[in-house]
Amino acid sequence: MPVTYDQVKTVAAELYGSALKKVPEDTKAALARAREAETNPVAQNVLSMMLGSARRAEEASRHLCSDAGIPTYFVKIGTAARLQGNIRQAISDGFDHLVATIQPPILKHVTNPLTLERGYKGKSMPLVSFELVDGADYVEITCSPKGLGAGRWAALEIFSFPTLDVIERYVMDCVLKAGSQHCPPVVIGVGIGGTFDYCAKLAKQASLRPFGLVNPEPILADMEARLLDAVNKTGFGPMGTGGDTTALAVHIDYAASHGFIPVAVCFNCWINRRASARIYDDGRIETFE
Amino acid sequence: MPAIKSLTLPMTEQSVRELVVGDLVTLTGDITITAGLPTHRRIIEYMEAGRPLPIDITGDTLFHLGSYSQETDGRFEVLYMNPTTSTRFNSLMPGLIRHYRLRLIGGKGGLDMACTQAMQEVGCVYLSFLGGGCPLLTDAIQSVVAVAWDDLISHYRLVRLRVADLGPLVVAIDSHGGSIYEQCTRTAEERLPEIMKALDAERGHRVVPSAATKAPDEVQPVR
Repeated sequence: MPVTYDQVKTVAAELYGSALKKVPEDTKAALARAREAETNPVAQNVLSMMLGSARRAEEASRHLCSDAGIPTYFVKIGTAARLQGNIRQAISDGFDHLVATIQPPILKHVTNPLTLERGYKGKSMPLVSFELVDGADYVEITCSPKGLGAGRWAALEIFSFPTLDVIERYVMDCVLKAGSQHCPPVVIGVGIGGTFDYCAKLAKQASLRPFGLVNPEPILADMEARLLDAVNKTGFGPMGTGGDTTALAVHIDYAASHGFIPVAVCFNCWINRRASARIYDDGRIETFE
Repeated sequence: MPAIKSLTLPMTEQSVRELVVGDLVTLTGDITITAGLPTHRRIIEYMEAGRPLPIDITGDTLFHLGSYSQETDGRFEVLYMNPTTSTRFNSLMPGLIRHYRLRLIGGKGGLDMACTQAMQEVGCVYLSFLGGGCPLLTDAIQSVVAVAWDDLISHYRLVRLRVADLGPLVVAIDSHGGSIYEQCTRTAEERLPEIMKALDAERGHRVVPSAATKAPDEVQPVR
């Protein structure tokens, strides 16, 4: 039984909807820990409201944010999975279905960059990237509705043979530039190496990594821990009104590169929108955050 | 937890000047909101042409909140609202603050020192709303008082709402030149040399837990 157009369409719509209404469990736990550890009374209040908002959104099936973002999907295709129908079209149709049916309705954020007109559709929407997973018998879809608040502050720079301190300094520069504006506490995704385009994707995908996993590259595991401390020493705090919690996590990935080495930094706001599913060749569907 | 001040709208200059950065407040009364850059430009066109706005904001409020307003049989209902990033409006706000003598403005992310200066002159404060706070903020809406410029998309419209106990919100810029945003940026810049020193000193020395955690490749979906 192959992975079908209908399954992919349904999953694409459902992932988007759930990302808008549910803060991932690991993120809620991290916010609760931050609430306990905070020493700043204003920040304590802001974190309590975040937890309250997350709870209320789930209970009442409400959007957390008015910015529903633009549709972005990452698709991993297992080489042992069979596909039936137009899978790219299924994702596009899934998003259209979401727009037509979701309650409450979402606002128009898809923007024509040449005219600044806004709607639900546009060239290349939804943004979908595909990769292959050798031997896997599933199609994995990850949805990341990206809003302006956090999306605005992503940045990339290309260095020539940078040492680790240069890379870390660049991450900190991006953090200071975003300042109070990206709905902290954020998840910070960092990509190092590859090429211009590949590096940006590494950063974005790193930002979607679940919490609590250890980076298999010891240099990066060490860098993640140090940068998290460093970012939280800046003092911007929840919603940027001061406090000890500016980031919940720093997630880094890398790829080999030339001597010109890109470093990309991106942010996911505190609601940390991400939702994934695997559609197996035998018809099973598993969702995860 | 600091005490939360319940504010009733509209507010006088004097009572606005009693607020200081770090205060937590709730709002009860009527507020005017929009999340649109085109809306701000249109307000400035009206201001420069001496035309009255369809919703008067003189001595009142203008919050950077986006809302989904739905029209059925000529009546509007606001399904949800949430702040947008105010810094997008930095260049436009000083003129609006001064001309309309705005008392309360807000959104998220703050405004720059040119805005802070204008706020100090007229007696105005900036309130920080919770981004991602739709479920809580929307519960405070009592009714829709007016919707103007419905030729614009929903979140760009100028909307007047009656709210009760909206908040708590953080007074993040006050009318005495105080700005949490300026303070946070300055603090972060001052701390940066020390932060970079610690990043260098600890490089390669962080103990990374291994027993209770998995590598990303081993993570399995749940459910």
